[in-house]
Amino acid sequence: MAKISIENVHKDYGDFTALHPFSLEIQDGEFVVLVGPSGCGKSTMLKILAGLEPATGGQIRLDDRDVTDLAPGDRDIAMVFQNYALYPHLTVRQNIGFGLKMRKVSSNQIARKVEEAAKTLGVSHLLDRKPKALSGGQRQRVALGRAIVREPQAFLMDEPLSNLDAKLRVHMRAEISALHNRIGVTTVYVTHDQIEAMTMADRVVLMRDGVIQQIADPDTLFQKPVNLFAAGFIGSPGMNLLSAAFDGAMIEMFGKQVPVNIQENAQLGGVIAGLRPEHLELGDGPVTFQVRPSLVESLGSEKYVYFHDEAHHIVRSGDAEEENDKGLIARVSHTGHLSENENLTLSFDPANLYLFDAETERAL
Amino acid sequence: MNRTPLQSILLYGTVIFAATIILFPIFWLFNTALSTTVELTQLPPSFWPEEAQWQIFTKVWNDRPIPLWLWNSTITAVGSVILSMTVSVLAGYSLSRFSPRGSHGMGLFILTAKMLPATLLVIPLFAIFRSIGLIGSLWTLIIAHSTLIVPFTTWMLKGYFDTIPRELEQAAMVDGCSPLGAMFRVIMPVSMPGLAATALYSFVLSWADYAYARTFLVNSQGNWTANMGITTMRGEYVTDWNEIAAAAVFVAIPIMVIYLFLERYLVGGLTAGAEK
Repeated sequence: MAKISIENVHKDYGDFTALHPFSLEIQDGEFVVLVGPSGCGKSTMLKILAGLEPATGGQIRLDDRDVTDLAPGDRDIAMVFQNYALYPHLTVRQNIGFGLKMRKVSSNQIARKVEEAAKTLGVSHLLDRKPKALSGGQRQRVALGRAIVREPQAFLMDEPLSNLDAKLRVHMRAEISALHNRIGVTTVYVTHDQIEAMTMADRVVLMRDGVIQQIADPDTLFQKPVNLFAAGFIGSPGMNLLSAAFDGAMIEMFGKQVPVNIQENAQLGGVIAGLRPEHLELGDGPVTFQVRPSLVESLGSEKYVYFHDEAHHIVRSGDAEEENDKGLIARVSHTGHLSENENLTLSFDPANLYLFDAETERAL
Repeated sequence: MNRTPLQSILLYGTVIFAATIILFPIFWLFNTALSTTVELTQLPPSFWPEEAQWQIFTKVWNDRPIPLWLWNSTITAVGSVILSMTVSVLAGYSLSRFSPRGSHGMGLFILTAKMLPATLLVIPLFAIFRSIGLIGSLWTLIIAHSTLIVPFTTWMLKGYFDTIPRELEQAAMVDGCSPLGAMFRVIMPVSMPGLAATALYSFVLSWADYAYARTFLVNSQGNWTANMGITTMRGEYVTDWNEIAAAAVFVAIPIMVIYLFLERYLVGGLTAGAEK
């Protein structure tokens, strides 16, 4: 296990910068998730960390060892790939033991360690099968086995759950978290799925266009997004983001004047207000307004009420959830019937409002 | 899919028609070998020998240096396979995996070489081999065949390697292999069907050559390959076509046997790209 220090690592492809200077200290045993939409540079960073891509500049250290220019095999890290990357011509036993064999570990020791790893992951009965005879979940377990058997300094995981179906993904998510808790190896995990990031990470690194947007623990990331992108990306459904007129003390929302306390010198006239769907409630509250739902979706115990307000321009941010394309959303706990033809009374507490500078997109 | 009777008739009819066209020369080869000289000159021709002349095979095998010719063909074909596979595996892998500046142009340039007819290259190759004193040696054929084989097999293998996910080598490298180690320990074993298909293609191309053997080996009787040797069986006044056909059967058999055994690999190797 090791501390990973990444200092100003960047990656250019000709004139295109895939990764802007990236610095991060990952503590020994920490589970860090790099999350962001496609093309945000998260996989590039992971590959640089693994040694599979050379960095254009910067330095990577594992504990005090500079590994920036070391070959992948000399870094003492293990990697789990999205498509499992199991060697199809080898049995599960040989797949798991491959890394040990490359390191010239004795065959007795390999056999013992492979058995142990297989037992940990519950694949002991599959050891003599070839990868093509395994299900997706089993393949992913074998891939994890190949990683843990070497007892590396760090695990790197590149979207390891993306190829699994939804149910198995939830199951494996919990299994990977449990495995991390048990063996405590420093882990860097890449995903585009914010739910994976939120549920698994000790710390989340949110990225966009090769630039780190925010580094925080999941709760902080959810509660205190530093910019519009972070606000829109984290949360499911995503935060409602809408333009609002600002006169220096109040903003206008849904026809109501809402007092806000903005410390910084925001440009008078334009702010973007953010309100999480779960912070909109049915019935009266501190700020109450009427809407005519355009669509009501029932999830059983709760409902998604979609509505539009012509006074506000809806702001799209980041890789917003599909639901956010359908309009503004209120996520309300209600088991009764809600009709799309009747006006509904919704309310929110101004304390739950997020405000962003319309120009810089930074949180106010 | 359920077929109507008409569809079935059309389908099987087409298959039988195509098979007849393809198999007729092979049938005619055996028919010629097993017929007597008299039967061969009949008009209309006889499609079935009255009494099959099986002894023609032992006669040809004993009277003519067929074993030597086959041996020379084998050395040439195996040599060409080894040389061209060594080059094209590395070249195809490089074209598939690394993309240095100009690699696309280089790839196309290699393919252009395949577009030149073999006979066009005979004269420059002859000049080169003569200047280095190789004319008459089997090495000339091995090298000359490889110049024909490598462009095509390089592209064939590049296509095959393209279908293998890069993550396999990356996983091997993280596991401690060098890039070359990852290629030999992981990519090569995984590519066996593609390699077998390509090697077989190379073997057949070399085995079937006549033009180069005729040009480079005409004065080296001891190095004649089977195809070259058979053509010398044609007499100035009389030609025993049944003997020539029997010798041709000996030349065709190895290829048929190889195809029978490697057919599974061959089809798998050639269609691997399409499965993805």
